[in-house]
Amino acid sequence: MIELGQGSGPLRGVKVVEIGALGPGPHAATILADLGADVIRIDRPTPGYEPVSRATDLLSRGRPSVVLDLKQPDAVAAVLELVEGADAFIEGMRPGVAERLGIGPEACLGRNPRLVYGRMTGWGQTGPWAKLPGHDIDYIALSGTLYSLGQDPQTPHFPGAIVGDFGGGSTYLVIGILAALLESRVSGLGQVIDAAVVDGAAHENLLFASLVASGQENEERAQGTWGGQDPTYAVYRTADGRHMAVGPVEVQFQRELVAVLGLDPSLIERPADFKATLTEVFLGRTQAEWAEVFDGTETCVVPVLPYTEAARHHHNVARGTFVERDGLVQPGPAPRFSRTVAELGAPPSVPGQHTRDALLAWGVDPEPLLATGAARQAPTLTDSGV
Amino acid sequence: MSVTLGAGTGPLRGVKVVEIGSMGPGPHAATILADLGADVIRVERPGPAGPTRSTDLSTRGRPSVAMDLKHPEAVATVLELVESADVLIEGMRPGVAERLGIGPDECLARNPRLVYGRMTGWGQNGPWADRGGHDLSYIAVTGALHPSGQDPARPHFALNLVGGFGGGSTYLVIGVVSALLEARTSGLGQVVDAAMVDGASHENLMWASLIAAGVVQERRGVNLLDGGVAQYNIYETSDGEHMAVAAVEPQFLAELLRVTGINPEISQDMSAFKAALTEVFASKTQAEWTDIFDKVDACVTPVLPYSRAVRHPHMVERGVFVEHEGVMQPVPAPRFTRTPATLSTPPSIPGEHTREALQAWGIDPEPLIESGAATQAAR
Repeated sequence: MIELGQGSGPLRGVKVVEIGALGPGPHAATILADLGADVIRIDRPTPGYEPVSRATDLLSRGRPSVVLDLKQPDAVAAVLELVEGADAFIEGMRPGVAERLGIGPEACLGRNPRLVYGRMTGWGQTGPWAKLPGHDIDYIALSGTLYSLGQDPQTPHFPGAIVGDFGGGSTYLVIGILAALLESRVSGLGQVIDAAVVDGAAHENLLFASLVASGQENEERAQGTWGGQDPTYAVYRTADGRHMAVGPVEVQFQRELVAVLGLDPSLIERPADFKATLTEVFLGRTQAEWAEVFDGTETCVVPVLPYTEAARHHHNVARGTFVERDGLVQPGPAPRFSRTVAELGAPPSVPGQHTRDALLAWGVDPEPLLATGAARQAPTLTDSGV
Repeated sequence: MSVTLGAGTGPLRGVKVVEIGSMGPGPHAATILADLGADVIRVERPGPAGPTRSTDLSTRGRPSVAMDLKHPEAVATVLELVESADVLIEGMRPGVAERLGIGPDECLARNPRLVYGRMTGWGQNGPWADRGGHDLSYIAVTGALHPSGQDPARPHFALNLVGGFGGGSTYLVIGVVSALLEARTSGLGQVVDAAMVDGASHENLMWASLIAAGVVQERRGVNLLDGGVAQYNIYETSDGEHMAVAAVEPQFLAELLRVTGINPEISQDMSAFKAALTEVFASKTQAEWTDIFDKVDACVTPVLPYSRAVRHPHMVERGVFVEHEGVMQPVPAPRFTRTPATLSTPPSIPGEHTREALQAWGIDPEPLIESGAATQAAR
């Protein structure tokens, strides 16, 4: 039994229709669901490329999954019926695909002029590459972001898909949707949000654009403070082959660092010697030993933890940055709200797990759709023994 | 510049924000809000503009008012601004705003509808809340730095994008606008605690899923996105530049093999495939490969430095970067059809608009300037 308007967090009562996709779209929908929105996820009857089993796919948490076959007119009509009662819509298909399916902006805004229609793509809705495929590294490569990443002068290093899909993708889509929702409360009108990873990755990199404009940044890797040129903003190897993140950019933290290590303070004035000394010193103990030495000091020196250990780090534990639910360790909703606290909602779903319940809750009769095959109901997780 | 309220372009037109000037994610968040049309007033310490301030894009789109918050009249002025504001953003260490007299209690008492946004690295609580830190520190303890890069020997960090911006400013903005939306119904504001440790962890949700599924190892160079897979990697070209190859799906992989002429059988052996791609890409320049892949569905793109990215035909046609008042810069993101957001004023110098901005917000600047609580910078 699904009841709307029961979410915790500031977005309680906001209704969102999500057309299931991969990557930034689902991440955006997760942020909205985490903050209390009623998101209904529409999945395809046969899954496409899925890198992770849905049982642990945290990008599907907090919302019900309904399977609809959007090639069938009844299913398209059902989406438009959902849209009628929705505040926002999220889709992440190539430009033109939603239109061809009959759930494009015109069709949806025709049914509900207040709707905020959010579109998530890599290249954007316009431009010569709009219809080309791509992935995170392509988008950040083209936006001039990837070129300068990492500390290796020979080659750029990319940090998973964080900088493009999530840092420049989903978060900017959510910002756009929320801003447009706020505006629609006054104007009574919705609109279309074109969130492109290339735009977001460029905007996220505003500081770098500033440095280039100032002539201080030559765009080569391992240059400048944030690029990792300085001994006091770098990663050092420990005796057990792990690493410490050393970031005392300010001189007061550098003084504390040399004091803790018992080093000659004049090293601060000699960057090359300082780097060589720090490299040697950090190799002298294990990460766990260094973590203890630096815990609670004003040095900006912390261990580089793998994810599974990060979830157990005492600061993260004290803050509840990670929570465990049904055996799944996962980051909790972010950011934190003092009055409308956002709590973790439902666990990840399997596609079609909630087709009946969710359609009913949104006022759409599921039975005719199930009868024609336009919708499918999956067995529950327990039924299927997952 | 004459400061007029409610004249912004974009969906946040008319939203009033008081920004207590800081560094990094706080100003970036304020830039996002200003870019989307909000009336942001930046309150910062008086002082000379550094040599890079005129190109500091994270001060664009809003006036700068210089005030000395150790001066009681300056504190009173901030509270007066807060009275008519929708949002306040600050990024000091926990407890500092309270000591200055502009903490959440004082501000919400003056304006119960206020959304009070706090940007920090470690968050407002927890054992390390009072410690110093930087992007590198925050992402190190959240598990986001460990898998970063394709070098098995060590992690490579991505400037300060992952913590400061991806997990910092954007989450603060999401929190602030969510709370604003809620305040329009409830009539009540609240405090938003945006911590980079939380944001970087949440941004990394896919990695958490992959760990939970047991399909990745916590080592670099062996997984899908860390160089462990030949068809998702970076290759050097004959002129020392690079191409980004992301042919993950079978249809794109087939195109990659066709265009590079690599025997599909080789692609079954990951290290042989990687060696073959390395050799092939080293045989032509980046410009040649860019031409070859320009119209091919294989997810292969040139890795462009920022200064060339701004001139790429796709970026130019979309208008991702524009030159505004002499400075090349990314435009507001995302894009809106009905309430488009456009660039407004260029970066400021501290105190450049003390008089005009305070006047626009209904505060007489003269007594403040006289007593030294506020400073008007010379142009």
